[in-house]
Amino acid sequence: MSEATDLAQRAGDRDPRVGLRAVAALRRLMEQLEAVQVRSARNQGWSWQEIAAELGVSRQAVHKKYGRR
Amino acid sequence: MFERFTQDARAVVKGAVEHCERSGSRTVDAEHMLLALIDRGAGRGSFALAELGLAERGESVARALEEARRRAGLSQTEAEALAGLGIDVSEIVARAEEVHGVGAMSGGRKDKGRRGGHRSFSRGARDVLERSLRIAVARRDRRIGDEHILLALTARPGVAAEVLADHGVTHESVTRVLHGGGGTKAG
Repeated sequence: MSEATDLAQRAGDRDPRVGLRAVAALRRLMEQLEAVQVRSARNQGWSWQEIAAELGVSRQAVHKKYGRR
Repeated sequence: MFERFTQDARAVVKGAVEHCERSGSRTVDAEHMLLALIDRGAGRGSFALAELGLAERGESVARALEEARRRAGLSQTEAEALAGLGIDVSEIVARAEEVHGVGAMSGGRKDKGRRGGHRSFSRGARDVLERSLRIAVARRDRRIGDEHILLALTARPGVAAEVLADHGVTHESVTRVLHGGGGTKAG
């Protein structure tokens, strides 16, 4: 019985909408987390270069996203 | 832009800053403007909210906004989608706030936060103010009042609009209360 419910749920998970929504939500959550960490690093005096290295992106990319406009 | 604001609208903006300070948030958000609008109790926007039964439901709104903050500003649906992946958003927010302060996870990525002792407006809050200006212009109203701020809050997709809609306050219902329609006749 519980196996049947399990299967039904997994079948539901095959609905691309559910998966896509989760990915989109995860991306938003990740953006928030990244902003928190970048801000924190800047407050502690980290350079854009150092932050970029840890994030695995270019210095320009980080600066463009979070630096002063 | 602020010189075109009515006294009521200015009071809402000022109230939003106070709400922000009391909650210990880093930036003034659209949510703070909503809270200020509710407890202002004067002006056309507050009148519309009272007409729609929100005056006595301020606590319920505050609670809903609080829950949204714990979800990092994500909607209930988004948080549930993440729970489906085994991700507990509220746990992540709690840990981030422990280290980085209340509201750390609800700001936009370009929000600068506190600077020089006073708080800055988040991108969302600035967007609400800009929208309220556009709404006033579109309606050919010469001043920007608190009712335009309210309309802007309902029109802008986000936590404030979601919470308002959950309490029966939508762009349509506010417009109806403000400008009549459906049975309202002059004289």
